[in-house]
Amino acid sequence: MREVSFGQYYPANSFVHKCDPRAKILFLIGYIVAIFLAKNFYALGACAGLFLVVVMFSGVPFGAILRSVKAVLFLLIFMTVLNLFFYEGETVLWKFITVEAVYYTIFLAVRLFLLVMGSSLLTLTTTPVSLADGIESLLSPLKIIRFPVHELALIMSIALRFIPILTDETGRIMNAQKARGADFETGGLMQRVKAIVPILIPLLISAFRRADELGDAMDARCYSGSKVRTKYKKLTFGWRDVFVLLAVAGLFAGVILLRIYTQALI
Amino acid sequence: MQKNVVLSKVKMEAIKFDNVYFSYDDEEKESEDTLFSNNANFALRGVNLTVEEGEFVAILGHNGSGKSTLARLTNGLLSPNSGKITVFGMDATDEKRLFDIRKQVGIVFQNPDNQTVASIVEDDIAFGPENIGVEREEIGRRIDFALSAVGMEKFRHATPARLSGGQKQRIAIAGVLALKPRVMILDESTAMLDPRGRREVMDVVLRLNREENITVILITHFPEEALLADRAVVMHQGQIVMQGRPEEVFQKNEQLKRYALSMPHSIGICRYLSQAGLPVADSMDAETVASNILSAMEKVTPSNLKIPQMQGAGTRSLRFTVDNTAENGRVYCENLAYVYNVKSPFATHALKGVDLEIRAGEFFGIIGHTGSGKSTFVQHLNALLKVPTAEKKYKEKKIKKGQPIPPKTVLRVNGYDLTDKTTDFAELRSKVGMVFQYPEYQLFAETVFEDVAFGLKNFRPDVSDAEVRQAVCDALTTVGLPYELVKDRSPFELSGGQKRRVAIAGVIVTKPEILVLDEPAAGLDPRGKEEIMTLLHNIHSDWCKTVIIVSHDMDEIAQNCTRAAIFSDGKVLAVAEPKTLFADENALAEKGLDVPFTAKLTTALARKGVVINSDFTLENFVQKMVEYVKMKGAGTRLTSEGGENA
Repeated sequence: MREVSFGQYYPANSFVHKCDPRAKILFLIGYIVAIFLAKNFYALGACAGLFLVVVMFSGVPFGAILRSVKAVLFLLIFMTVLNLFFYEGETVLWKFITVEAVYYTIFLAVRLFLLVMGSSLLTLTTTPVSLADGIESLLSPLKIIRFPVHELALIMSIALRFIPILTDETGRIMNAQKARGADFETGGLMQRVKAIVPILIPLLISAFRRADELGDAMDARCYSGSKVRTKYKKLTFGWRDVFVLLAVAGLFAGVILLRIYTQALI
Repeated sequence: MQKNVVLSKVKMEAIKFDNVYFSYDDEEKESEDTLFSNNANFALRGVNLTVEEGEFVAILGHNGSGKSTLARLTNGLLSPNSGKITVFGMDATDEKRLFDIRKQVGIVFQNPDNQTVASIVEDDIAFGPENIGVEREEIGRRIDFALSAVGMEKFRHATPARLSGGQKQRIAIAGVLALKPRVMILDESTAMLDPRGRREVMDVVLRLNREENITVILITHFPEEALLADRAVVMHQGQIVMQGRPEEVFQKNEQLKRYALSMPHSIGICRYLSQAGLPVADSMDAETVASNILSAMEKVTPSNLKIPQMQGAGTRSLRFTVDNTAENGRVYCENLAYVYNVKSPFATHALKGVDLEIRAGEFFGIIGHTGSGKSTFVQHLNALLKVPTAEKKYKEKKIKKGQPIPPKTVLRVNGYDLTDKTTDFAELRSKVGMVFQYPEYQLFAETVFEDVAFGLKNFRPDVSDAEVRQAVCDALTTVGLPYELVKDRSPFELSGGQKRRVAIAGVIVTKPEILVLDEPAAGLDPRGKEEIMTLLHNIHSDWCKTVIIVSHDMDEIAQNCTRAAIFSDGKVLAVAEPKTLFADENALAEKGLDVPFTAKLTTALARKGVVINSDFTLENFVQKMVEYVKMKGAGTRLTSEGGENA
């Protein structure tokens, strides 16, 4: 409860950490699209290869990345089993499991692994704050069509700021009600839902109170959401970022070439 | 120096309130006539106040006296129903100049968590300048300036969530400073901080006032802080009722009492001694008071002294029947250790082997600054944190490796063995009540009755309605709330102090034998504090056997507790009566803790050769001081005049 570490940022000072968040987000988008364009193991191998290179330059131990996959492991196993039984192929391996099904299942599993690990590498090497900055900057062209980019960014920033505070608060309220005999661990579904009320109401009231006070504090600091607003933090695109984008462009081109010149598995 | 003199001559009016009325009720805004026919709900009623540039004004007053309203009116967060407010000559109600005014007048609020918008310190400080369109390079310079002004340069890239309360509040000040204001209002900005944090913030405020010539309006409940100001203003029911130099204001005890305020202990001692016939000049500094006492002693005829009537004396008897053997109401703890986030890089050893015994019948105090482990300790008392059950395995491992076996943990509370997994924890919790900090924030039910009954119904699902009614009625009466009047009301429409009482009633409703309270008086005004402490003594005398309070306020501990324990760095540093505990000022100062004013004064006097042996309550100190002077006088007189009895 004390040290709520939000997100899964892994502090280090590597090449990847130093990259501009926009470059990293664009890289991830390119990488994901490439994975979906990959139709066979060669193309997927190219994706995996680039991923491993990025991992090498990220300073994040492979174990930390694997741990992030743990969450989707159940989904993965579930999908694998389902596919093994229901994919229709010709060469029967055993009972109604076909060779094609085995290939296909492995392919899907690798694909999913690469997807999840790639996304988690982004959150491991980028703080939520700079991620929000990156998203804001990437969305800024939408200002032309009056999309409230700045407001969205402020909402993200405040949300990030208040997550640890409200987590702490939830813990405190839970403890206070537990001390008054509230029981959150046993009982049926209805009982448990009912048990949440004494936490939820104080939490909501507190959130509103905080919002009120924050609103006053923002007003007092001249917030008006007007157009004169400047921005202190400026993201700068450096040589690293160009390099990163070139790399993902290369991957893209490679995967497309492989799509044309090699046989598709699916 | 010369420049200063010139500056002070052409002092400018910073803020001016001219007959200002304000009401929070919207309906009354409609026309001026109805406005004045019904002035029951006015938060401000005819306030006239002028603050000069560079001045440091402290505003005092009980909760609801209109202090915060005054702050909000000053920078246009609210606008008055009638009257005029000018800020550096600008009309504060002029919508077009709103941002010019807000640039000039910065407000720092009470809760350090609810003022920051960003997760990184420098981003948050940049928020203000960004809003008014300051250029990038200039924002950078302003961040440098603001951070160095509050002494937080090292934390530029830190996360506010990881900072202490005092540090967060300094960041909030920096965020306001980045707008380059000429006036800074602190709206109870120190109320939620521990003494260390309060000192940090006050140091910064004083420096800003003196070095940057920033006008400061400090709204506070702490007399010690108000004494630092050039002028103190007392508010009561929306009006300014007293003002003048803080020392002068605090001398008018009768008036202060009428406005629900109290003198600081330092002035209180001077006053009482003067009443006793020892004319001690008022001062808030222990050294000065000590020398004032010495010079006063030379002037008086000791036999004329008599012990004065004191307001607190006698109302609260510290007679307790402490039972050394009873298990009910007793806490016994040996080698209690606790680690947060075991096996993670964030692992914190909050408790490192605590040994402590709290006997049945005590009014026990737990002292220690934030992070000393005191909160972690009290959460063990009703098993909100559990003694690690993995101990056995851990021990076997150690034996295998041939390492020394860690000592066995013992934790017995009210006769329950908390190291035993089979203990009935629900029953334990009904016997060991726990009131958290700001307990009013845990209220949730639709009516006061339901909220108070919550605990009772949880612990005893088969309890009869009649029994619940009786228990709730008893609990509410004990906390001083009329049962019939409040039972059907929503807890959220009560005042802050009343809410806290309801929350306490919700804990004592199960008739616990031990009641633990974490900072029960935090954030209350002086009268509220006094009332809560009286209430706790009532609960102690006829409701719960043992009362344990966690507190930062050393005067509170000295005035109320039979014994106290000092926690520091996860261990118990000392357990003793307040008298013994506070005798060694230096040892406490080393741990970043304060001592009561009486203790400071005793030390200062001892250095001058006057040894007073009091229990550090104000009343007892004055009594002992008077007795000392009389005895001393009798002694000298015996030799000089020969034969007058003391």
